[in-house]
This record gives sequence, C-alpha cells and structure tokens, in this order.
Amino acid sequence: MINQLSKKFTTILILLLLGLQATIYLYNQKPLYVSFSKKNITVENFSSIVLSNSGITKIGSEKLNKIDDKNIDLIGESYLENDEYKIYGENISINLADEISYSDEAVKVINKMGTLKAEGFKNLDYEGKIFFSGAIEFIINE
Amino acid sequence: MKVRYFFLEQLNLLLMNKFIYLLVLLFLKFNAYSESYVKADDSLIWDSNDQSYTARGDVEFKNDQFIAFSDKMIAKYIEENNEEVFTIVELFENVVIEFKDEVFKGNYAIYTRDNNIIKLIGNVSIKSPTRLLTGYELIADIDNNKRILNSADNDSLVEVLLDDNANN
Repeated sequence: MINQLSKKFTTILILLLLGLQATIYLYNQKPLYVSFSKKNITVENFSSIVLSNSGITKIGSEKLNKIDDKNIDLIGESYLENDEYKIYGENISINLADEISYSDEAVKVINKMGTLKAEGFKNLDYEGKIFFSGAIEFIINE
Repeated sequence: MKVRYFFLEQLNLLLMNKFIYLLVLLFLKFNAYSESYVKADDSLIWDSNDQSYTARGDVEFKNDQFIAFSDKMIAKYIEENNEEVFTIVELFENVVIEFKDEVFKGNYAIYTRDNNIIKLIGNVSIKSPTRLLTGYELIADIDNNKRILNSADNDSLVEVLLDDNANN
C-alpha cells in the first residue's frame, strides 16, 4: 500500500517537474522570438516630424535606418530643426524614447545666438542641454 | 610713342592692382575686428534651461570691446528681440583680457554687459605700454575709462587710474 502511494507520489512529482521544465523552456524561448521578429526598416530621402521637449522638431536625412521602435539612425547628410535650433550633420543617431540625439561627426548648429561648428554633439532634449565636443567655433550674431 | 604708351598703361595697371589690394585688405581688417565669437578646444555645453554656455579648453572669447582667453568660460544670456545676447561672462583660470593697448591678467574674471565693467580677482596684473601694476583685484570700468586696482587686503587701495578724457 505504502509502496503504491510512493510510486504515485513519485509519478506526480516527475510530471510536475516536467511541467515546470516545459514552462521554463517556453519562457526562455520568448525573448528569442521577440528578437527575431524585429526588422530593420530603411527609407531613403527621409523627413518627419517629432514632438519633443523643444517642441515640434523636423528631422530628415538622405537615408533613415530604423533600429527598433525607440532608435533610429539618420544616415548621410542629416538635420534636426525646431524653433530653438537647426542642427546639420552626418550620421545622427536618435533615441526617441529618451529624447537623445548624437553624432561623432562634424556638426553645424544655427541658433538665436549665432552659428556653431563642432566635431560632434549629444543633445539631451529633455534636459534642454546640448554637449558639443572637439574644437568649437561659435560665431556670434552682430 | 608706342613705348611711352605701353609704360603708362603698365603703370596704370600697377596702380589699379595696388588700389584693389588695399581695398581687400581694408575689407578683411574691418571684418576681422567686427566679428564676435567663442572658440574652445575641448567642449561647449549649451544649457537652454539655465540660459548659459559653458566652454572648456583654451577658451577664446571676443566681442566688440575686448578679446579674452581662459581655461573655462561660463556665459549667461537673455533673449532680446528673438535673439540671444550675452549678459554676464565669467572666465576661470589663466585669464588674459586684451583691451586696446592694455592687457589684464588674473585667476578669475567677470564681465557684466549692463555696466560694461570687467572685474578680475586673484594674482591680477594690468599691463599698458607705460606701466605694469599687480594686485589682488582689478575693476576695469570700460565706459568711464577707470581702472581700480586693490591689494589682497581690500581696505588698502594700491592705485586708482583715472582718465578724464574718457572717450568710450
């Protein structure tokens, strides 16, 4: 009698363990599925409008490469324009969720103070700060 | 006769060339002196919330009054008629300011546009073609052409330079 109960208990335990293993397997598979379902989208002569901290920003480039729902790369000659500034550069990456844009390549910015040239930039739009790197030349309007 | 005409023509061309060259030089010189700018070797941060620009690394600042050099600069601005205008410019470390034939040096400087006064603090010197003065604090009033130089002890005035023929 005791032996039969023990066998039943062992069978149930094994079934439970198998079920648990199957669940873990399925959960482990889910991120892989998401990863493979992502597609890079490329658009040529792209221009669009983005609503950010600085208001409505017009963005454009020779080519747009959509990495995912949050990140896009502006390939080739690119720009970001709004009421506060106009940024002209090349290969600008944009994180739409965090409102960050950046580039390690030469950039020209026109704002209400004047015209600025730098070797790269990082625009934290939600903080209202733009960091320019490298040699800077900022010609001030007369 | 032809030879004389030829030489006259050559002379005329030479004079014309010189005249154009002088005109170009004058144009370039005028533009060079009228341009205001900020230059920096390392970085510049534009903070639109704080309404300031912070430049680092061999900073060079020029306006229609003077040219200044330092390691770091923080310039505050306001918006006037849809344009940004510097109101206060602070310079940090190895400050050198060239104003006409004078050179001011110090550890720190602050320029206020409203009253057109430059104040330098720390190891201050003022050099002109005729003299070199040193002290702790220098107040250069550009509009009134006044220079006040104080020693480390603020109560003891080292020298006050006054020019009644202020023409600024």
